[in-house]
Amino acid sequence: MAETLIDVIQQLINGLMYGAFYALIGLGFTLFFGVMKKFNLAYGPTIMVGIYLGLIPLYVWEAPIWTVFIACVAGAVAVGFVVEFACFRFLRQGHELAPLMTTIGMLILLQEAVVIVTHALPYEYPAVFGDESWELGPFLIRPDYVAMLLTGVILVVVLYVVVNRTRFGRAMRAVAENPTVARLLGVSVNRMNTLTFALTSALGGATGFFVAISLGALQPGIASWMTIKGLVVIVIGGLGSIPGAILAGLLLGVVELQALWFLGIGYRDIFAYVLLFAFLVLRPAGLLGKAAT
Amino acid sequence: MRRFFVCSVVWAMALVLLPSGVSAFQEEGTLRIGGMWALSGPAAYVGSSSNGLSSLAIDEINEAGGVEIKGKRVKLVKYAYDDACKAEEGLTIVRRLADSDKVLFSLGPTCSNVAEPVFGTLQKRLDDPNDTGLQFLFFTDTAIKFGLAKISPWAFRNVGNEPAMFDLTFQLVQEKYPDLKTVAVAYESDFAHSVSTWKGAVKPALEKYGYQVLDVVEWRFEDTEFGPQTSKLRKLNPDILVMLSHTYTTCGSMKEFKRQRVKSKLMVGITSTANTETMTACGMAVEGMIIPTNFAPINPKAKEIAELAWAKYKADSNLHSVPAYENIYAIKGIVEKVGIDNEPHTLLADRRKVRDALAKLGTFQGIIGPIKMNGDDDPVKPRDVDKAVILVQAKGGEWTVWWQPPEMEQDKQ
Amino acid sequence: MEYYLAVLTIIGMHILLGLSVYLVAITGQISFGQQGFYAIGAYLAGIGTALWGLHLLPAMLVGMLVAGAVGFLVGFPALRVKGLYLGIATFGFGELVRLTFLNVRYTKMIDGKLVGPNGAEGFRHVSYIYDHGLTQSQYLGIIYTAVALVAVCLYILERSKLGAKFRAVEEDELAAAMVGINVTAVKVFAFTLSGLVAGLGGAMFVHYSTYIDHDMVALPLAVASVTYPMLGGLGSFWGTLLAAAFLIFLTESLRFLQEFRLILYGMLIIATMTFRPRGIIDETVMLKLRGVWRRHRSPYPGM
Repeated sequence: MAETLIDVIQQLINGLMYGAFYALIGLGFTLFFGVMKKFNLAYGPTIMVGIYLGLIPLYVWEAPIWTVFIACVAGAVAVGFVVEFACFRFLRQGHELAPLMTTIGMLILLQEAVVIVTHALPYEYPAVFGDESWELGPFLIRPDYVAMLLTGVILVVVLYVVVNRTRFGRAMRAVAENPTVARLLGVSVNRMNTLTFALTSALGGATGFFVAISLGALQPGIASWMTIKGLVVIVIGGLGSIPGAILAGLLLGVVELQALWFLGIGYRDIFAYVLLFAFLVLRPAGLLGKAAT
Repeated sequence: MRRFFVCSVVWAMALVLLPSGVSAFQEEGTLRIGGMWALSGPAAYVGSSSNGLSSLAIDEINEAGGVEIKGKRVKLVKYAYDDACKAEEGLTIVRRLADSDKVLFSLGPTCSNVAEPVFGTLQKRLDDPNDTGLQFLFFTDTAIKFGLAKISPWAFRNVGNEPAMFDLTFQLVQEKYPDLKTVAVAYESDFAHSVSTWKGAVKPALEKYGYQVLDVVEWRFEDTEFGPQTSKLRKLNPDILVMLSHTYTTCGSMKEFKRQRVKSKLMVGITSTANTETMTACGMAVEGMIIPTNFAPINPKAKEIAELAWAKYKADSNLHSVPAYENIYAIKGIVEKVGIDNEPHTLLADRRKVRDALAKLGTFQGIIGPIKMNGDDDPVKPRDVDKAVILVQAKGGEWTVWWQPPEMEQDKQ
Repeated sequence: MEYYLAVLTIIGMHILLGLSVYLVAITGQISFGQQGFYAIGAYLAGIGTALWGLHLLPAMLVGMLVAGAVGFLVGFPALRVKGLYLGIATFGFGELVRLTFLNVRYTKMIDGKLVGPNGAEGFRHVSYIYDHGLTQSQYLGIIYTAVALVAVCLYILERSKLGAKFRAVEEDELAAAMVGINVTAVKVFAFTLSGLVAGLGGAMFVHYSTYIDHDMVALPLAVASVTYPMLGGLGSFWGTLLAAAFLIFLTESLRFLQEFRLILYGMLIIATMTFRPRGIIDETVMLKLRGVWRRHRSPYPGM
């Protein structure tokens, strides 16, 4: 009995930390949608390309790990600009599905581009926080997950401050509420969109760094995986809600790992989708969402 | 805008409908062969290696003068396409090779899930006018899932025989390490090759040699988190860990094993992992793993080929890619022995001749030893080969030979 | 010849897949889960011929009807969500179908071969058309007869009152409800139809390829199925049809580009949506075409 309890708590700890990934990815999606009212399905690939760009200082210059982090973030921001330019800038208002398709096109393009450039070879990030988990009593804690959790907390706090306490944040929220009025009040909507892209992509880059150091080997397919999980998270958490995305991400992580532990891999994915459907049916607004669309 | 669209459609259709230039092969001095491999997507590494090894064989043969047909030396011409490990692509490519490009036979496919439908569309009963399957010859180098060649008499494979490979593996392991008794297995439950290797090759071998299987853990081919499964393994503390997963999940899970201090006394891996890709991805994480394979640079010829293939085509030589080289030479031998007419209108008859000869080929020479092709009437593995098995072990970021058949010791230099 | 037939065969099945997305898209519902119905049609039709010894048409009917029934069931919960939410939900449905088939094991020994869905190892030996002496051109005829029937049904639908109701619901659900349209019935009916069409596509596919497994009905198929109506435009089903034909012709004719094909595919999608966000044949095109047609027929120009 005690052993089962230990197992449950161990997987709970794992689930919460793993869920932090989901939370951060969902955060990016929710920021996009909250501010720009558009769906950026190219967010996953943006992060993925940022991760691969981070390999350049690592393999070409054998530079220290913090440069890799910078490269990741900078790379993601650069890709973010490309995505914004290619997929959003020229789209006229009122066509909600068009950005969906352009970003899907970008997802296909970016994923294939990375496969070509890397010749489909797998690369790995170094294990920055060591090869072994820390032992805390009967529990094992992954140091890279802890680092990500702490960074995530910092990022969320910074985000909160930026969104709620700065002029930039106020402008961002104004554009989210009502772009026309914001424009009348002197806010350049285009500039806000570009800056939002930059901010969210930077967040993505930082997330991507921690995703990369926790993976065994990199593959371009992680772009699709992140996209799907991110979308599930924002549905559960509620579109446009930052705390919702965080809670939803953690919930998803916990549910998945508990299902995996007790029922096996077959049920892990099924439970994730059942959770999704449960929310859609019972609480379409999500945990903390504002609207059902 | 509409005009542009219509023009594009017409232009695209025109490009498709462009014929491949069908002149009389013998006249123009060519013998056409085909290949369909995964040249893009996740299996691109494996497919492009096969492609490279095939180019090596073709270039060698052409430089030496070519293939002798009806007293004339003709050059080999390759038509290679990318199936991206997708069934639909394979289905259209096979007809392109068979019908538009009019090749004598095709190498590949790389992926078993492409081979399944493609072989399924081939003729099942020779000489049956009611069977409208494609009469097209495959001599496969990679797709290894057990039983694929049984699907059609036109499907031949020079691939590893995993049940035999793992039988030998566990026989040797038991001889060398008789104290190791307990086993835990990990496999990818959504990847056909992993599943069939576990069920058809590893499970029977473990039973035969009296190993106790403590548990079987599963993950998905694209998974990135292995915590819970590793926790399970940690509790079990098996003597032997059998990892039937492919490169990405092997790397990911081995790193998790290190994190949670799961250390077995011995690790056994799946055949596909014994290549350079794994070493590049996570070399030190798989340290000590033993894998049965059919190729290692254990004799001068093998070394030469491995070096040339890499130098000229950036192609890795391993159990999946080297058969492409071997198969081309085997077909050359058959063509020169039984004779074909090598004309577009005799294509069907030529393919049939080569097919029948391949079924009766018996033993032919591979790079590291003789290869025996089983005929149509073999009850268990028709049109599949028996060939030497080598066991390699990951040491210091490289695959070193752990065991090779005694008769090969003399070849070693 | 065989090669072109093969390309046309694949196009036929993708047309059906695209049309099934189109059917729900014109009621304003975006579905990334049609590959789930495709899978149901494929597996059931395959079981029909390979395990139950049915003939081709009855087996395809079974696959189609079960897929349609599931479409009906899916239509109800789909009412609760809109927009991208529905897209995600339907993708979840598609994944659940895929995961179900990943775990289904229903095999029999027939003629010394193990036949039937076998979990991750797939479902092979669905060899009806090859065993019964059907040539590729004959099967192509069957496929395009089906496509033509579906097209005719769509043609009739789009010109009927029901078609107008579909579009009214897409335009503004509240307004449609206020003029007495039963929005629920319309949306559920659309899902049922889409299930039937996609199921038919799947049933035809499995007999062509003789093999189906869970990996063949995953995300890439979902993306392809949505791309056709989005690019082709929601003005007329012809858009979807032409888009499917065009994109598949393109990927075939660009084989010499090898791995750059997908890059071009992505760029094409981006370019098309940038210049024509409602697809190539969107509603304005249809209005213009109808205007031309009317002017052509009417003796009074401008009426």
